[in-house]
Amino acid sequence: ADGGGGPALSAAPGRAQVFATVVDTFLEKLVAAGSYQRFVNCYRCFYKLQPQLTRSIYDQFISQLQASIKEEIQEVKNEGNLEGLFSSLDKIVEEAKDREEPAWRPSGIPEEDVRSTMVPYFLKHRSYLRRALREKEEENRKVAEAVLMGRDRIAELQQLIQARQQAWQ
Amino acid sequence: MSVDPMAYETQFFGFTPQTCMLRVYIAFQDYLFEMMLVVEGVMLKKLDGIPGCKISPSQIRKCTEKFLVFMKDHFDKLFAKMEEVLLQLVLNIPKNVLLPEDRVQEEYPYSKEEFQALQDELQQLQQQCRAEAAAEQALRAELEEQKAVKAELEKILQCFDGLENICREHGAGNFKESFALLTQSSKKLQDVLKDVEEKSKKMKQHDQLL
Repeated sequence: ADGGGGPALSAAPGRAQVFATVVDTFLEKLVAAGSYQRFVNCYRCFYKLQPQLTRSIYDQFISQLQASIKEEIQEVKNEGNLEGLFSSLDKIVEEAKDREEPAWRPSGIPEEDVRSTMVPYFLKHRSYLRRALREKEEENRKVAEAVLMGRDRIAELQQLIQARQQAWQ
Repeated sequence: MSVDPMAYETQFFGFTPQTCMLRVYIAFQDYLFEMMLVVEGVMLKKLDGIPGCKISPSQIRKCTEKFLVFMKDHFDKLFAKMEEVLLQLVLNIPKNVLLPEDRVQEEYPYSKEEFQALQDELQQLQQQCRAEAAAEQALRAELEEQKAVKAELEKILQCFDGLENICREHGAGNFKESFALLTQSSKKLQDVLKDVEEKSKKMKQHDQLL
């Protein structure tokens, strides 16, 4: 089955497909280079003695080599979850396709780079504090008013008491 | 030729692309050598079983080396081409691409000074909150005190009002005046008493001196 049957009709093949194609091409050309002719050429003495065995040895050699190489590739893909990463990266690249300017890259200095990651939390914290402060100030204003009224009332009571005292002098 | 460390790609893939390629190269090469040894081994075994064989193991070894040199040469060239394509097209992140995990970097590009200003602002806000909390405590404490004082004062006022009500009930309108007169005369009495005391003290002193 052709591994490139993706849902999108993208002009460019995805990374996974390029990867597979490139590896297949490598193997093809390697096998072509190590042709049976070449093999026989090198092992001429043995070939003269055992032509059929030579053929079967060669066939086994080539098929085993191909199998080992394909297995190694599969292992690398599994270990690194390459299929998944390739398709994520394809998506990310597709989303950035209209953007021309170079994107941000890590500066290599962690203290510099971590700043921007903390900013959103700090901004949230700041708006929380601002709101809490406003609410508290409003509350305190009301309580202060009550305190002032209370003082007035106490002064009033003291005056009334004084008046009574004087009336009884 | 400067070597591109491909740090951003490493961040994404979790491995360095070049290291991955090297690992694969070594693995492939190992398989190639292994297979060649197997080939050689099979041939040698076969020759062992043939009596009077004119082919020596060292001849076979020379054949193997010849084939291997040839294969290795093509292998290296082909692998180099494959590696180039993979590093350029597959295991790479184009310059205009920003990984999603780094979006904050472009959303909130704060300089050192701007960041410091933000932190300072937060500190200031926290201080202000603390001050408001302290003010609240003080205000509420006074409110509590006021409650107690008011209660006391109102009690006293009630006492006075109570007295007036008694006077009114018993028709002693002049009770206040007579009570006031009483307080006045008791005060006068107290003054007189004090006078007498002082005078007697002085007389005693005189007596003592005499």
